[in-house]
Amino acid sequence: MSLWVDAYRPRTLDDLHYHESLSTRLRSLAASGDFPHMLFYGPSGAGKKTRIACTLRELFGKGADKLKIDQRVFMTPSRRKLDVNIVQSNYHLEITPSEVGQYDRVVIQELLKEIAQTQQVDVSAKHRFKVVIIQEADSLTRDAQAALRRTMEKYMSNMRIILCANSTSKLIAPIKSRCLLVRVAAPSEGEIVKVLKYVASRQPFRQIDDDVAQEIAQDSDGNLRKAILVFEALKMQSPDLSGPLTIAKPDWETYCHKVADMIIQEQSPQRVMEVRSKLYELLSHCIPASVVLKTIADRVVDKVDENLKADIMHWAAIYETRMRVGNKKIFHLEAWVVKVMSLYKHFFYDIDMTGFD
Amino acid sequence: MFGEPSSLLGGTLLATPSDDDVGAPATGRQEVDAFVLGGLLGGEEPEKPTEDHGFGDPGLLGDAFQPTGLLTEESPASGSSNDLQPTSQTQDTATQDSQELLDPRPLGLPSVVARSTSGPTILSPSIRATSYDGTPVYLRRKPRKFESTVLNPTSTRSQGVGKLLDVPMHRLMDELSATTAAKLSLHDQPVASTSAVSPESTMWVDRYRPQRYMDLVGDDRVHREVMAWVKEWDFCVFGSKKGKKRARDDEKQDEYRRPNEKLLLISGPPGLGKTTLAHIVAKQAGDARSASAVDDRIRPALETGSMIGSSKPILVVIDEIDGATGGSDNSGGFIHKLISLTYDIPRKKGRSKKEQTARPLLRPIVCICNDLYASSLSKLRPHARIIRFSRPNDLHLVRRLRTICETEGLKAESRALSALVGLAQGDWRGCLNTLQLIKARNKVVTESIVRKATAGMKEADMSQLAVLNDLFTPMSRKRAKELGVTEEEEARYVTRLSREVEGSGSMDRIAIGCFEHYANLRRHDANFSRYLKANEWLSTYDVMSGQMWAEREYASMQYLPYLLVPFYPLFQERGGPKVERPKVDWEQHTITKTNEEIFKSLAGGLRTACTRHGGAYRHFTSDVILQLEFTPFINRIISPPLRPVNRQVIKPDEKALLDRLVDIMVSLELRFVQDKTEEGQLMYRLDPPIDVFVTYDGKRASDIAVSRYAVRHLVASEIDAKFIHREAEFVEKTKETKKRSFFNANKDEAEGQPEGDGKLMAGEAPDHLVTKRAKTDNGIVEKAAVDFFGRPIVQSASSTKPASTTGRASKKREGIVFKFREGNSAAVRRPVKVSSFL
Repeated sequence: MSLWVDAYRPRTLDDLHYHESLSTRLRSLAASGDFPHMLFYGPSGAGKKTRIACTLRELFGKGADKLKIDQRVFMTPSRRKLDVNIVQSNYHLEITPSEVGQYDRVVIQELLKEIAQTQQVDVSAKHRFKVVIIQEADSLTRDAQAALRRTMEKYMSNMRIILCANSTSKLIAPIKSRCLLVRVAAPSEGEIVKVLKYVASRQPFRQIDDDVAQEIAQDSDGNLRKAILVFEALKMQSPDLSGPLTIAKPDWETYCHKVADMIIQEQSPQRVMEVRSKLYELLSHCIPASVVLKTIADRVVDKVDENLKADIMHWAAIYETRMRVGNKKIFHLEAWVVKVMSLYKHFFYDIDMTGFD
Repeated sequence: MFGEPSSLLGGTLLATPSDDDVGAPATGRQEVDAFVLGGLLGGEEPEKPTEDHGFGDPGLLGDAFQPTGLLTEESPASGSSNDLQPTSQTQDTATQDSQELLDPRPLGLPSVVARSTSGPTILSPSIRATSYDGTPVYLRRKPRKFESTVLNPTSTRSQGVGKLLDVPMHRLMDELSATTAAKLSLHDQPVASTSAVSPESTMWVDRYRPQRYMDLVGDDRVHREVMAWVKEWDFCVFGSKKGKKRARDDEKQDEYRRPNEKLLLISGPPGLGKTTLAHIVAKQAGDARSASAVDDRIRPALETGSMIGSSKPILVVIDEIDGATGGSDNSGGFIHKLISLTYDIPRKKGRSKKEQTARPLLRPIVCICNDLYASSLSKLRPHARIIRFSRPNDLHLVRRLRTICETEGLKAESRALSALVGLAQGDWRGCLNTLQLIKARNKVVTESIVRKATAGMKEADMSQLAVLNDLFTPMSRKRAKELGVTEEEEARYVTRLSREVEGSGSMDRIAIGCFEHYANLRRHDANFSRYLKANEWLSTYDVMSGQMWAEREYASMQYLPYLLVPFYPLFQERGGPKVERPKVDWEQHTITKTNEEIFKSLAGGLRTACTRHGGAYRHFTSDVILQLEFTPFINRIISPPLRPVNRQVIKPDEKALLDRLVDIMVSLELRFVQDKTEEGQLMYRLDPPIDVFVTYDGKRASDIAVSRYAVRHLVASEIDAKFIHREAEFVEKTKETKKRSFFNANKDEAEGQPEGDGKLMAGEAPDHLVTKRAKTDNGIVEKAAVDFFGRPIVQSASSTKPASTTGRASKKREGIVFKFREGNSAAVRRPVKVSSFL
């Protein structure tokens, strides 16, 4: 038994609930015989991976659904061992190179070379090539991306690559130009409601109230996965889906909002220390620092005066870039907090802000 | 300071060697020396007498030495240097005793007297004597020291027995005090005496290393503390044969009378004489060698030491124990081994009570380190008595340095010397080395020469804490004076501080220290400008160092320290809160690591689930989704509001809920594991504990109901059943034929478990009650059974009903299946009425 998210995940392109035009395009691509490298991008929970899986099914038939998971060990030049989990079928292979962090280049090179140099042995296969799916392509290091661009051209004959990313901004241009870019947009609220209803219809209770579905959809920010998870959680917690529903936000998000409120309430060294301990708490719960910064910044911006918004976001962006280069995330988070406090204070007391840049 | 009191006996004894015309004192002399030392220095070698006393001939002269016993008892308690008063007294009495003893001897042992008085035969290892009737009598050798003390008075003036002392007592006393004084004066300048011996080529550090406890310079209290600790081992190491002491020893120690902490950890900055102290104390504490032992040498050393026991007890000195652990596994094992060595004891204790052969740690171990808070020592610290060395008073050092300079023929200004001591921050070794260096060129030590010679000394590596302190507090006047820094030089802090930061060797940790400390300085900062700047510097530092590591541009390392220096102008403050060792970051780091492990095991569970369910869960395994979306919601999904009821009486919709919950948890390999809370209460813990991710600040999210023990129990048993089922299924797949019955049994068993409990509660207890009641009112046995509340029991009805139905069924079956006396099976033989065949 699996979660609803998985149980009612569409298996074929025909089953997909929204983005019909995209489905048709993918179908025709799969049928054309000249399948290009592809780059699926779009926000989290929009259905990229589902569409990739459906496309594979369209390409290779049911065989693409027979999956097995391997763990492969790669060795870096510095004799360090890297464990990588590989999901594969006879026709394709799925890796997440970001698992190994900065050593992803090694994995990419070794693995792709190996695939590219072996021919498809299954005679009954519909296509001569194998497909390699690279998840979280936007977190590939620059080295790994550079290693990729050559391979993509050279082994075109027996390999296709499908990249899956949240945004294309972190991918180098040569890669983007070698791929067919496919944007999978987040589903609209209506579409989410439709899907939720579909899920409900397959359940014994048959239906879901319109307002409940609407509420879940609104709360999910276009993230269908989140919407279905919330739906299931709600259903588990109050089996009849009645009464005043409180849609739970993820705990880290609530906590981030608390931090944002603290920043706005008071600006003092004391408060800086309190905020710091909260930030530590968030980071120790493995919440990525950039997500923390973004969530808090969003919330702060919601609450402050119009004139401050731009500045706060501007600094959030600056500290986020710094954070990516540096090692100690907490330094930059706190630096931003102090910056916001100072901005806020200055705005509040209407002090001349020149010389604060 | 201790000239007079101890003089009495010492004089007598020292007088003896001077005219040793008899052969006896040759051996006796050393012992005498040792004895004197013991007297002078209080507990220097008190163990010898104790031991001897043990072996000694108690009948004859035991009394004479009891006072020495007193000496040993005294010394560990009151330290070692200032208990001279009692010592001298006891020795005084000792002399008197021995004087007296010479007289009663003829009475006490008449047979021996004849020969013993006649000459030094007594000294031979075993004494042959002849009694009046001519039978030879062999006397066991007496302890030497004893002999010597007794014999000396006789042998010095051995002309006749009658004249025991032909030199008057008062003259003897004078003589004695004179020699003692001479000897003491020698002691007062051990430096001179040793330097005379050593050739020019040795290092001054070695040449002027203190040889005796009294030579030590520095904090007397620390020295005494160390000595006292070692003395606490006396009973364990030396004195186990001494009856008297055992009787009145206090009860706080264990059966071996060891101190509570079996290890001594001496810590302090380099060059203060920690190693010297340890060695001297070891030497002084008894007839011990100090062994610098590494790794597996310790155990043999200790064991051999305890096996030989009496002869050469060992005190183990482990020097630079913080350096012994570079972080490699092996050295981590070293500390671990050391601790287990001391830890073994409580476990072994019970056994060794019965069989004395297995002996635990019976010898003191002294560890020496520079950095008490080195991470490698964290495990050791709780088990050790910790003694901190601090910088000795400059005055002592200067004085000692001056005497050294005098003996070496260096002219030294006292200002120069105090400057040197200040520069070296009490580093005694550094001072001596510098002086030796100066000696090589100059004949005079002046301040300017000292400053020149110590140019590099200032940058000697400093601990992180010291660097942090320097960053946040302005230089103290005193230190500035020591360094000879003028006002304007002090104002130019950048070079000084950046060098310090660089010299500390761990800039990252300094940065963390700055980060953790700056906000503590709550100065009035209306516009946050100071904080802004500080953070700007920190974040620049981090960006730069991050870039440096990533791009391997280590050339930029040299610029990093400058990014931390600005904390000085921004936050320097006299008397602000003290900088503490940064620890929050490390704590958070460890928490993060554990949480990452939990995520890893969860992701592992998802992957196996993926293989079982045809790739169902695989889209969750990416980190971000796992962290941000999956864990918050899965925690809600797996905590539905179940009522803690028996599985049998569960409502169908609840049953569905439970089944679904169990299904999900099983497929994710989540379990409830029974555990005990700190209060000893039973509870079920989620494993892997993914509920930490909905727990912030120690509080669970409010919308997730904390499931009760009973509910978790129910779920846990269901899950276990499911797991067994799954395993069984797996087995079944592999071995189709045989396993069927096994599987069924398993399943039955598994499902029987939760049911069993319920039935026990519902069915059995009332039955029991019924029988009880039946006994009390014996007449009405047949009355309908009543449950606890007096209602007629439904259970009994149901239990009889099935019985009757089965009876009917069996009747029917008999009619069909039964064949009379077929084969030899006894299984179906049963008396049956004819009617059933009809």
